[in-house]
Amino acid sequence: MKKRYLRKLCFIMAAILSVSVFSACGEKATDKDEQGRTVISIGNYPSKEGETRDIWDAKWKKFEEDNPDVKIEPDMWEFDIKTFYAKEAGGKLPNLFISHYTEIGQYIDSECVGKLTDVMKKRGYEGKFNPKILKIVSDDKGDIYAFPTTSYLFGLYVNMDTFKEVGLVEEDGTPLQPKTWDELAEYAVKIKEKTGKPGFAIPTTQNCGGWMFTCIAWGYGTVFMEQGEDGKWKATFNSPEAEAALQYIKDLKWKYDVLPANSLIDYAEYFKLYATGGAAMIIGGGSSVNQYPKYGMQPASIGIVGIPAGPKRHVTLLGGTLYAVSKESTEDQKDAAIRWLETSFNYNATEDFKANKQKEIERALNDNQLVGVKTFKPWSNETESVKFENELIDKNRNVDLNNVRLYNEFIENCPAEIQPEEPVCAQELYAILDGCIQEVLTNKDANCKEILEKANYDFQQNYLDNL
Amino acid sequence: MKACEKKAAKKKLNGKNSLRNEIDAWVLMLPMIIILYLFVWRSTVMGIVWSFFNMKAYSVRDFCGLDNYIKVLTHTHFLPTLFNTFKYVFWSLVIGYLPPLFIAIMINEIIHFKNQFRVIIYIPAVIPGIAAMLMWYYIYYPDKTGLLNMLLGKIGIEPYQWLNNPKFTIIGLIIFSTWKGFASAMLLYYAALQSASVEVYEAALIDGAGPYRRLRHVTFPAIEGVLLLTFIRQIIGVFQVLQEPLAMTGGGPNGASTSISFQLYQYGFNSGGKATGQAMALGVIIFLILIVFTIFYFWFNRKIEERY
Repeated sequence: MKKRYLRKLCFIMAAILSVSVFSACGEKATDKDEQGRTVISIGNYPSKEGETRDIWDAKWKKFEEDNPDVKIEPDMWEFDIKTFYAKEAGGKLPNLFISHYTEIGQYIDSECVGKLTDVMKKRGYEGKFNPKILKIVSDDKGDIYAFPTTSYLFGLYVNMDTFKEVGLVEEDGTPLQPKTWDELAEYAVKIKEKTGKPGFAIPTTQNCGGWMFTCIAWGYGTVFMEQGEDGKWKATFNSPEAEAALQYIKDLKWKYDVLPANSLIDYAEYFKLYATGGAAMIIGGGSSVNQYPKYGMQPASIGIVGIPAGPKRHVTLLGGTLYAVSKESTEDQKDAAIRWLETSFNYNATEDFKANKQKEIERALNDNQLVGVKTFKPWSNETESVKFENELIDKNRNVDLNNVRLYNEFIENCPAEIQPEEPVCAQELYAILDGCIQEVLTNKDANCKEILEKANYDFQQNYLDNL
Repeated sequence: MKACEKKAAKKKLNGKNSLRNEIDAWVLMLPMIIILYLFVWRSTVMGIVWSFFNMKAYSVRDFCGLDNYIKVLTHTHFLPTLFNTFKYVFWSLVIGYLPPLFIAIMINEIIHFKNQFRVIIYIPAVIPGIAAMLMWYYIYYPDKTGLLNMLLGKIGIEPYQWLNNPKFTIIGLIIFSTWKGFASAMLLYYAALQSASVEVYEAALIDGAGPYRRLRHVTFPAIEGVLLLTFIRQIIGVFQVLQEPLAMTGGGPNGASTSISFQLYQYGFNSGGKATGQAMALGVIIFLILIVFTIFYFWFNRKIEERY
């Protein structure tokens, strides 16, 4: 008797499991709810209970009150390039998701994102964005595929405690700006001699080393690729300029001995090295200040200055974050998504925008993040919202202005050329350059010319020829 | 006649029962079959099919014949990564194949604290993978704060580069994976040793056989089947090495620890969706290589089963 019941129970459970597997596959999203409201899912919604989540919940509630025709559905998926394409293929991307300038070209090529040209035009964004940034998020025909939200220019983070100890500060406490890469090496040597700690660090894995190396190499006059008249791309970094840049990295290790002993440094390790005093200077954008509190670094220990110049050019790299919409999104959903974005990213300083920025600053202060660094905006510095945000940062600054003054001036009136990332196969190029950097850092006898010849050939053969 | 009818009725009843039992079994297996279909069989077959198509991210575009295979095989990193993978296999056999056997024999031979030893030796296997990798990352850390370099420092030797040294990096990763994984193989050997006939062992002892002769003539014949199977399984397992280089070296320095599975991962997840078709093609190539080992495995397994 008991056995019969057990068998029936197993039967029912098996049937339920089978049905649930199939039903999960058949789920289909709709763009309107039963009340006729446009439903949009918002990616990167905070999943953990806490202050950040409370701020987002309040923003969500307020937005739905102000926009009764829109219903927000939070999506806790945090953007990750490794899961992005699988979610996209399964039609499971949120309508609105965050990403970076470096990836948008891939999405446009892969036809994974929705076009925003019409809705941006309708909402009055024509002529509002910095054309250089707009070009990054547009295709060859000029159609716009993303809403740029924040930008950064590479600068140089310095450890204020170390700089003060070594005497690399002005009388008023402003850190000294290394004007050239060679001067940076001199500073690093001084730091190593006086403190015994590495003066500089560069990441070398996860494509980060290549990413930062491109900026240094541009300063040495390197051109990484060129497009021929037939439209085909040619790798051109088997050049004396690139060789000089790679030799500079090699010298930092073997001639000056100012780099950390570890030559396999990923992005997390890179930030940790700086935050824990393992490297006195690192390259970074103004937005990476949020990385340091988790390692216990106090805001007062952080200083940031402009990027040094190379022997041929003074140039810095432009990057940033953006929001894109899934290709399945309807025009109504795109419109609702842009309205949602406008509450935090707007050229007009609306009441919503002001309130949300105020909350963001308060949260940063509570998290013991440095407040005081200005960021390079996708729109002009004269726009209302940028002025408001900059004033808010000045008002709430939690460090001595001199710690960040040089970078803020660098952003405001950039003396360097501003260059976006390489136009095609940027990530593949970074991966190859990671290998070049690793080679010169682990092999004292490495021949920079030969390494770059091989890297140039690999890049051409494996990637550019396959475009 | 009656008996015959009875027999036929019984047979019918048995047939009905077995059919009913079979349906029960199939229904109970159904969820697992669906899961296997969705996550293993379907993806394997689709991987093979899609390897012949141009893909944009994970969307299939047009048939391209052997293009993806040509791109994979002519990729300048293909041969070096294949060579690296064989290096992983070689070093895993040199470093990792025999220690579990020695430890199993040791535990089998000792009389006191046998269980305690077993527990202590099994501990690495229960440490979460990422935590263990992080621990070893700092053991190998190339400056004076790395554990191994601290020990070297005590005897006046300069810090060594460990995983930063392209010549050592694969060996270093294999030492870690041997430490992490040898307990499972050790248990297999230990179980085989336990099943060896006590009488034969005692007879060998009475005949005055020393430890080496006991090992050669008693222990070894009892475990040679397991040894062969572990050998093939280790090759198959290590051929797919991915986590260790991914988490501990990022495939570096300069590709020195990049395995073929790591290259597949790069195609699949770090190519911005441009090389998904090539990821499928490389998956098929790995599948074909492993099929050869698997055929060997089954062949050995059958031989061993026939013998015992």
